Amino acid sequence: MAISTKERMGIPLVHMPLNNPAQRVTNFEEVPIGYTLEQAQTEAKRCLQCKKPACVEGCPVGIDIPGFIALIEEGKPAEAAKKIRETNFLPAECGRVCPQDKQCQAPCVVGKKGDPVYIGGLERFAADWERSHGTYAPPPIPASTGKKVAVVGSGPAGLTAAYELRVRGHEVIVFEAFHRGGGVLVYGIPRFRLPLELIDEDIKLLENIGVQFAYDVIIGNALSLDDLLGKEGFDAVFIGSGAGLPKMLGIPGENSNGVYSANEYLTRIYLMQSMKFPRYSTPLYNGRKVAVIGAGNTGMDVLRTAKRLGSDVTCYYRRTRAEAPARTEELEHAEQEFLHWKWLHNPVEIIADENNFVKQIKCEVMKLSEPDESGRKKPIGTGEFVHDDADTVVFSLGCDVNPIIPTSDKEVRVNKWGIVMVDLATYQTSKKGVFAGGDAVTGGSTVILAMGQAKSAAQSIDKFLKGELNWNAPNVPTDPKAPGVQWSGRFMTAKR
Amino acid sequence: MLVVQILLKTGKFILECVLGGCNYEPIPEFQTVTKNTKAIVEQINIDNEESIAVALAQAEKLADLSGEDKAVLAAALSTLFYHDNHGRPGMIKLAGKAEAIIGKLGMDVVPFLISELVNADSESAAHFGRAVARNGKPAVKAVLQAIDANRKEDYAVINLLTALSYFTDSEAISAMPEILVAAKSANHRVRAEALEASAGLAKRLDATLFDEKLRLKMYDIASSALGDQQPIVRHFAVHSIGEMVKKGLLDGELKGKAAKAFSGILGIDGNNNWDNGFIVRHEAEKYVGLFKQAGSAKNKYHQSFRILEKRELCPDTYYFTIEAPLTAAKIQAGQFIIIRPSEFAERIPLSICGWNRDKGTINIIVMAAGRTSREMTNLSVGSCFADVVGPLGTRSHVKKHEGTCVVIGGGYGTGAVIPTARDLAALGNRVIGIVGARNEKLLLMVPELKEVCAEVMLTTNDGSAGIKGFVIHALEEILKRGEKISHVLAVGPVPMMMAVAAMTKPLGIETYVSLNAVMVDGTGMCGSCRVIVGGETKFACFHGPDFDGHKVDFEQLMKRQKMFVAKEKEALAFSEN
Repeated sequence: MAISTKERMGIPLVHMPLNNPAQRVTNFEEVPIGYTLEQAQTEAKRCLQCKKPACVEGCPVGIDIPGFIALIEEGKPAEAAKKIRETNFLPAECGRVCPQDKQCQAPCVVGKKGDPVYIGGLERFAADWERSHGTYAPPPIPASTGKKVAVVGSGPAGLTAAYELRVRGHEVIVFEAFHRGGGVLVYGIPRFRLPLELIDEDIKLLENIGVQFAYDVIIGNALSLDDLLGKEGFDAVFIGSGAGLPKMLGIPGENSNGVYSANEYLTRIYLMQSMKFPRYSTPLYNGRKVAVIGAGNTGMDVLRTAKRLGSDVTCYYRRTRAEAPARTEELEHAEQEFLHWKWLHNPVEIIADENNFVKQIKCEVMKLSEPDESGRKKPIGTGEFVHDDADTVVFSLGCDVNPIIPTSDKEVRVNKWGIVMVDLATYQTSKKGVFAGGDAVTGGSTVILAMGQAKSAAQSIDKFLKGELNWNAPNVPTDPKAPGVQWSGRFMTAKR
Repeated sequence: MLVVQILLKTGKFILECVLGGCNYEPIPEFQTVTKNTKAIVEQINIDNEESIAVALAQAEKLADLSGEDKAVLAAALSTLFYHDNHGRPGMIKLAGKAEAIIGKLGMDVVPFLISELVNADSESAAHFGRAVARNGKPAVKAVLQAIDANRKEDYAVINLLTALSYFTDSEAISAMPEILVAAKSANHRVRAEALEASAGLAKRLDATLFDEKLRLKMYDIASSALGDQQPIVRHFAVHSIGEMVKKGLLDGELKGKAAKAFSGILGIDGNNNWDNGFIVRHEAEKYVGLFKQAGSAKNKYHQSFRILEKRELCPDTYYFTIEAPLTAAKIQAGQFIIIRPSEFAERIPLSICGWNRDKGTINIIVMAAGRTSREMTNLSVGSCFADVVGPLGTRSHVKKHEGTCVVIGGGYGTGAVIPTARDLAALGNRVIGIVGARNEKLLLMVPELKEVCAEVMLTTNDGSAGIKGFVIHALEEILKRGEKISHVLAVGPVPMMMAVAAMTKPLGIETYVSLNAVMVDGTGMCGSCRVIVGGETKFACFHGPDFDGHKVDFEQLMKRQKMFVAKEKEALAFSEN
């Protein structure tokens, strides 16, 4: 029974049901509940099955989006999940945390008049169906190639690279500095957005196909890259060590007690489980009034986490809501959760009491300038200052690249911001046999972008191991001011 | 003594008389109760936290009490044990304080305490039990006698078993046979309590007291209780086995069996046959992390972090040798490690005092202060830490200097200067070591430091060894005799490092200090360890831990170290409960 394009366009967006805000801010359970099969099928009917799907070009890993949506429409979610798995190893995670509104859903034709197809929701539905119905079939692993690859870091980039290399028959060992796998998925993304079981199950899937994990090992310190490529007998190394070096503002009072980086705040809560203190003994000093500085995705995570810990939470951002870098969905969910918003407020000082505990935050009220040549409106100070009470301040301003590996091995070239420089086509670094991807080469970006890069890097590692990659001319930038890799749709480019 | 015994038996009656508000005529002999005691008793009887706190503080100061006083005081203080403290956390603390004061009254009041204990409700029984247990060896005998006398009274036996579980005196091991008999009682409440007592003793007594045979018997009884019909018994069986594993009483085959049993209870062995009692699973969850290392190594990078050696250097301070081959292969003087003793613990940074690259071992010194360090010092040889990550940070600044190099260690920081002293000496420097502590007993690692230094000077605050005073006095001594100092490294408590830096700054002597900031990951990821050096924010974990002592903002560091003090107390209280 064919449905006409007009009919498809006439179907309204099926909103994914959410937990009630008043109730959900009291627990760490997931906020969106997920589609039923019926809801998913209706949403899938909205897809026009374009001949030249713009959405696929918007996806950093190039999932066959119309393909899997058609399967959901036909009522075959298990096969839809299998289809996604062909290109994306972490569908349950991506369906939940990808910025679809900036990637696949942005160019959606349906979205030109009204709401785009909720691709993220459908991806999540297929992945959840696969998990709850146990339809996952592990990929066939070819006979061993006899080559060994070390993957540094078990975050989204590391896990993807490990999967892609393993299915090509290479032996893979993932080195992780923490005591458990998942990287930023565990320590940086809240449980109400991404339940822990999903990550653990995907790690288990990798273990089942023969990927090995080595925890509590810091590459660069305990084992150097030369050790790995030398006495440890690895043929190649993939660096997916992420962006682990928090940025601060450099304003007075920043080192007062009760001031955290978003990384520290979230790590204490989600990796070290201080939300279950004192059963888990990692402490968190969380005040009654929490000020969060920054309105990116991590900012939203911190805001909503603090709310769930029972605090009165305010977001400070020096521009307006329209410029907030967070995903629309996150921003909307956060806005439902009884938070306070102080747009156009730029923190200039943190005031502490005599015991060095935060007492107040001082902000300058800002206004936006006229757009400059590049069309961006700059925030400029008005000279008006406000003092707000706060006893915890969390800086959520993004991260720089973790310096451990670049510092330990000078052959791996970095730019002046510490970003690992790679050849944009092959993800080779300036050190032979060493590849890199994820936040280590972007300086802080999204899960899916890290995965896309890891996948491409794994393909070049495969070529390298087969001797098909020309090693004499790695096209790695030498300019210390050269930017990191950025996503601008379809291709990885070098913009900053 | 006889009078005391009689008094104790009528403790409550006396109390009422002393209070004056009763209808009885005061018995003439009891008029000898002193005014002080009387005042305290009166104050305790006012059901008000403040007045009780004042009374307890006064009671603590009393000394040289007569028999009557002790009896009256014990009876009065123990009324706090019967309070319904629901919703009044302050009162629970006060009851704890009362336990300590009664404990100090000695054996005279133990018969009274036991007579109350056998009839008390379970909450009050725990208080009485802890008060009794504070008397150590003689009290063990008294409790065992009471069990013998009350053999037919299950209720009394349960409460007496509760008391046994709180003993920390080695004599308590003699109660084990009685406990194990009770673990097979027909009454499930007795079985449960016996298993808890067995867990309590496993937790509180030294591991060496449990011989092979006893360990086996304890495990057998607890593991058969895992199949008990009553969830409460299974709960305490899990608790008992868990504490044995935690203490390192089980190894090899038994530990493997326990691991299997626990994963079965939790249903993580894939058999879908988990224990249907929530309290049982909840208990098993607490311990399941201990088995992480029990499985066979999955790959060559899997390290066991087993404790190979543990010895006490001074009270509460231990020296450990740990298996950590990857760290041992690479570590350099000045670098540190991060340890997480168990699944539930914090990650804490610790400096290294030595290593053996061939054997793949590292040495650390741990002082039991907070919950996590206490958890570490409770582990014994053969057990494993959950995680040891390293090496972290940058190595110490070591080069050939013109003048003398001085390494200064304060308290448990002494161990950390040894590797740097060795490196300095290897480059041909003349190295003097200074070790400071409060008294002679707390001076650590002196022989080890002597091996690598040309000279070692000791300082103690009370003058019990070496120079009386602080480490800076030893430094002055060196300067006084005209020796030129070119380099100083100080590791220890912040006030010590601050004093050293303040002294050397006007003299222009290069001084490095090792900063022990609060950390989480140790790799620069979280920024918890921010310190201000020369006006710039640095991360102690990545840029340090050694910094130029003349540039460090010590005050800021001290304030930041106090960030979690309240939380740490809470955590410690939780673990001791």
